[in-house]
Amino acid sequence: MKGVVSGSFLVLTILALSVSLSCAADVNLSVAASLREVVTELSDNFAKKNPGVKFLNNFGGSGALAKQIENGAPADLFFSANTEWMDYLKQRRLVEDKNIATFAYNVLVFAGKPDLKVSKLQDVARLNKIAIGSPASVPCGQYTVEAFKNAGIEKQLEGKLVMARDVRETLVYAERGEVDGAFVYKTDVEEIAKSVKILFVVPQEYYSRVSYPMGLTLAGGKKAEAVAFFTFLRSAEAKAVLAKHGFPIK
Amino acid sequence: MKLRVAIQKRLGNFFLDTDFSVDGEKVGIFGPSGGGKSTLVGLIAGLIRPDTGSITLDGETLFDGSAGINTRTEDRHMGMVFQRPSLFPHLSVKGNLLYGYKRCAPEKRKIAFDDVVEVLEIGKLLERGVKHLSGGEKQRVAIGRAVLRNPRLLLLDEPLSALDDSLKFHIVPFLKNVCEAFRIPYLFISHSLLEMRIMTDRTLHLVNGRIVEETTAEDLVRKHMGQSMAGYMNLIRLSEPRQVDALYAYTWGDGQLLTASGDDRPEGLFELSSTDIMLFKSHPEAISARNLLKCVVVDTFEAGNRIGINLDCSGGRLVAEVVRQAADELGITAGVEVYAAIKATAFRKLS
Amino acid sequence: MLGFTPADYSAMYLSLKVAVTATLLSLPFGFAVAYLMTYRRFRGRIAVDVAVNLPLTLPPVVIGYLLLILLGHNGPIGRWVLEPLGIKLIFTWKAAVIATAVVGFPLMVRSIRTSMEAIDLRLVHVSRLLGARRLDRIITVIVPLSVRGIIAGSVLMFARGLGEFGATIIVAGNIPGVTQTIPLAIYEYVSSPKGDIMALSLCAVSISISVVVLVFHEWLGRHIVRSD
Repeated sequence: MKGVVSGSFLVLTILALSVSLSCAADVNLSVAASLREVVTELSDNFAKKNPGVKFLNNFGGSGALAKQIENGAPADLFFSANTEWMDYLKQRRLVEDKNIATFAYNVLVFAGKPDLKVSKLQDVARLNKIAIGSPASVPCGQYTVEAFKNAGIEKQLEGKLVMARDVRETLVYAERGEVDGAFVYKTDVEEIAKSVKILFVVPQEYYSRVSYPMGLTLAGGKKAEAVAFFTFLRSAEAKAVLAKHGFPIK
Repeated sequence: MKLRVAIQKRLGNFFLDTDFSVDGEKVGIFGPSGGGKSTLVGLIAGLIRPDTGSITLDGETLFDGSAGINTRTEDRHMGMVFQRPSLFPHLSVKGNLLYGYKRCAPEKRKIAFDDVVEVLEIGKLLERGVKHLSGGEKQRVAIGRAVLRNPRLLLLDEPLSALDDSLKFHIVPFLKNVCEAFRIPYLFISHSLLEMRIMTDRTLHLVNGRIVEETTAEDLVRKHMGQSMAGYMNLIRLSEPRQVDALYAYTWGDGQLLTASGDDRPEGLFELSSTDIMLFKSHPEAISARNLLKCVVVDTFEAGNRIGINLDCSGGRLVAEVVRQAADELGITAGVEVYAAIKATAFRKLS
Repeated sequence: MLGFTPADYSAMYLSLKVAVTATLLSLPFGFAVAYLMTYRRFRGRIAVDVAVNLPLTLPPVVIGYLLLILLGHNGPIGRWVLEPLGIKLIFTWKAAVIATAVVGFPLMVRSIRTSMEAIDLRLVHVSRLLGARRLDRIITVIVPLSVRGIIAGSVLMFARGLGEFGATIIVAGNIPGVTQTIPLAIYEYVSSPKGDIMALSLCAVSISISVVVLVFHEWLGRHIVRSD
């Protein structure tokens, strides 16, 4: 029995060491779902030029990601789809002000099947079911609800809103055809939509500008590779990639 | 009741093949365990479907394999009492009794609820649940329930087998009374010859799925007498007991018998083995046996290596048995007068 | 209750509504299947047995996804049966009921079967001899004698239904006021950094309901025993 215990202890220690050894050049990214393709491309490019750096990318709704980081999930850089969730971490001293920059911007649109007859925001009030990100944790949903309130159609939409856990799930609902349409970002439709198209762009006066703050966490700030990547993301090369994917950069 | 059963049924290794006709009110099916009695009854009731053949009751075809007729059990209007009462646990005694009655068309109801309750003496039990009734009470309720169905035939599948002896003979009169009072013909199944003798007039002997003979219980018993050490059991009804010293004096027909066992009840059913009757050619002057009856031999019959002797005694009929030699020595033939000596302890009280 | 929003009360009401409806809907089918499995011999018995018990072993999300494929807009039943009739099930409370019913069905059937199989067959024979036809027998003998299983099955299914999440979120979606049951509401709160207190409060509600249901089940069991 004793032999088994000390033997397994040895094995575990070796494993732990080897894990932590390999972690040295790992960079953990927690990324808002709508940035999936662009951040993947950027990290791949960076990794090619800096062999030895390995990126571990975690995509999801910004609020859920913030909560994970708060609860100790490893993250060196956090990309949020709105300032609220970055501020959330800032208040909890998990990200320092000096390590935050704006990564990109976006535009809110309504997507649906091509034959659907809606052309402006007020038209959606007469639809049956609309998918939006859950406003409790998904920025896209938060922007959408803000737009509803400002357009005065919030009450009419009660009971018609299907909550998704991130903007990509929102889009899937529309693709499947079980909802009439979905509020997503312009880039989501352009990147991956197959059967839905942009039926109208939500007028900017109805909602705060979609901006993506990105920030180095305390852990990330101590990692040279993470800091280097953070710098890279503000370079002209990175901005070109963003533009290629359809993200407005100012 | 006229019943014609000509059917075949295979169940695993067991093959039942019967072809018989019975005409009567009190018919028995006798046979050893595993011989197919319950299967036969199940087939007649419609709970089991024969492979081939036909069943006819009072002219009505209940089953005909070739014509594709198979009347459902619920439409055969038969009553059945099983070895275990199988009363509905979720209904009261009254609910159980009326279950079949309610499902009988009003114009077919010839048997009245109150009459049955009276005959079976279950009036006090009506509102009770069935869980705490005694074995005898439960069986009486089961009988009442089957009878109130107004069946045209009552199937009694070993209804007394699960009861102990004293209870058995307590139930028997209820069963007979109810069937006689309401004129319900029955088919009585048992492996007990004693029960057969009490309950049936004609008996079918079923062995291994086949009817080997159609006879009476009496004949069966007499045939078996030679094979059994216990001999032939005389069943005697005695009445009006008086206590005389350590014994009971009962009236038997015109005469009297002294028995060692007895009680105060006005009537009793007793058992007396043929082997316990000693015969004398002439009157023995002094004898220890307390019963000495003057009898006339009615006839004799062969029973294996013994001779059975039918006696007409002043009270009633008795069957005695002796070995062949003894019969020859005493010259026992029809018409001869003999004296029968029976010890008081030889009588066994059944009920 | 402190702090519950109208959406939260909606979630509680919806949870009860969906669980009750799913249970009532499944009762006749569950009884019928239990009856068939107990009293009838037929080819394909094993297949039916497997099919009925399948939801017990499958992850609820699988069940939800399969239902979505079948009943959705692109699915065989959705396209050829529901759409022509103008019936839309996906992302409605009806889908939540269906998901809950499918997931809980094996529990109902097993429970009823257990008590049905315990009925002495002789009693059924007796009822036939006494003239009861099939429906009569079912109502007057089989149902009363299997009532314990029927109730246990219903309570079990109801309790399972209150907690249904995986199948529900896929086929009914998370629509506050329409399909957002307590588990879905809790899930949404848990994903949100500011939702922990609300999540805990709803958990407390969920636990309370479960306790009430279980106590009721115990009481019912004792009550029926006494009346035997």
